[in-house]
Amino acid sequence: MKLLDFELTTPERTVLRTKVRQVSVPTTEGEITVLSDHLPIVAPILAGEMRVVSEDGIESLIAVSGGFVTVHPGSRLEILADTAERAEELDLKAIEEAHARAEAVLKEKIDDEERQAEATASLARELARLKVVRKHRSKQGFQRLP
Amino acid sequence: MGVNTKAINRRIKSVVNTKKITKAMELVSASKMRKAVAAVLASRPYAQMAWSLAGRLERRGEEAHPLTAKRPEVKRTLAFLLTSDRGLCGGFNAQVLRVASDFVKSRPEGSVDFASIGRRAEAWVRRRKLPLKASFEGLMAGAAPPATKVRPLARLAKDGFLKTDYDEVVVIYTDFVSSILQKPRVKPLLPLRRDADLGEVQGHRQEIAPNAKMAGEYAFEPDPGSVLDALLPRIAEAQLYQAVLESLASEHSARMLAMKNATDAAADMIDDLRLTFNQGRQAAITQEIAEISAGRAALANR
Repeated sequence: MKLLDFELTTPERTVLRTKVRQVSVPTTEGEITVLSDHLPIVAPILAGEMRVVSEDGIESLIAVSGGFVTVHPGSRLEILADTAERAEELDLKAIEEAHARAEAVLKEKIDDEERQAEATASLARELARLKVVRKHRSKQGFQRLP
Repeated sequence: MGVNTKAINRRIKSVVNTKKITKAMELVSASKMRKAVAAVLASRPYAQMAWSLAGRLERRGEEAHPLTAKRPEVKRTLAFLLTSDRGLCGGFNAQVLRVASDFVKSRPEGSVDFASIGRRAEAWVRRRKLPLKASFEGLMAGAAPPATKVRPLARLAKDGFLKTDYDEVVVIYTDFVSSILQKPRVKPLLPLRRDADLGEVQGHRQEIAPNAKMAGEYAFEPDPGSVLDALLPRIAEAQLYQAVLESLASEHSARMLAMKNATDAAADMIDDLRLTFNQGRQAAITQEIAEISAGRAALANR
């Protein structure tokens, strides 16, 4: 099976640069599926999901939100997307977010502990001061007695 | 005792602590700079591909798109001014603000409106009593903001330009040349000009040339005009985004350098203080010995 050179780029980075069997993209004129030796075409794409069939026949979904698809002569496909996220990435993102939340929660606890430690320390400090003051007073008292 | 060793010791402790802080900030800035530089590099292919696509469209003999058409007379200008939110980054803000000030002087008085990005820019525009049209927050934080955050800026530029509120839109930012050299620049954003592209222009021009021959072969859906309408604002967006990333990279590297200098200065100061402290300590010991032996001598003489 003839393959396509596929490149998916967003303003942030090149998301994908690989050889693929076929790519289906939602365009303003309806969904198009690009196989090798497709006619050269330029079209705006719509927000939606893009289906990419990789070299070894595995289909993956990519969420895109607007952009352009350009098919160059010689089976070269370029997509400029505003944003593009692979389904796996979305999963990973959810996991990462969960991690971040967990960390934030842990941190909060640590913060609490820190605050607790601080409070304990300041309490100890005040108690020590009080002790000193009391001693001083009692000493003065002794001095006054004779 | 001639020197107050206790006070010096306290000083040393405080400088040691300061040095730890500046060192930490240096390391943080270094890692943020690396991230920002990586983001700058990663954002380049999009701009290049978008330009080469636009180039193909222009060659079809379309008349100039409103976004690329140069206005015969420039009456009003919108300037995006990019600075940092925070200080402690050496001359970074001062340098870019000097360029901004020169730019204002180069235009007729009162003809430049500002859109600030970063707190320092906002404060500067206010202090100068210049017209501030918009102030964007949160872009100059962290290492690399998502590209979507630049969209409102690009929108403001495009709408203002198309409504002829402005005859040109420029970006005043800091170009990241290397980690020790950053150059503040005024970059024209609208009307879109290919020469005004950031950085690697030469490289990508040669790249386009072979494609130009095939210009006629492409089918445009629905038509070339509407593709261009959608494409050009995105190019402006990509250019703004790159300016933000370049400024961020510059800010972090400026801060890294400033913190490195501060760390070195702290180390020097610690050495200095240690020397004074030891001299004072030694002087005190010498004096004590002198006193003891003087006392002994006085007793022996009796």
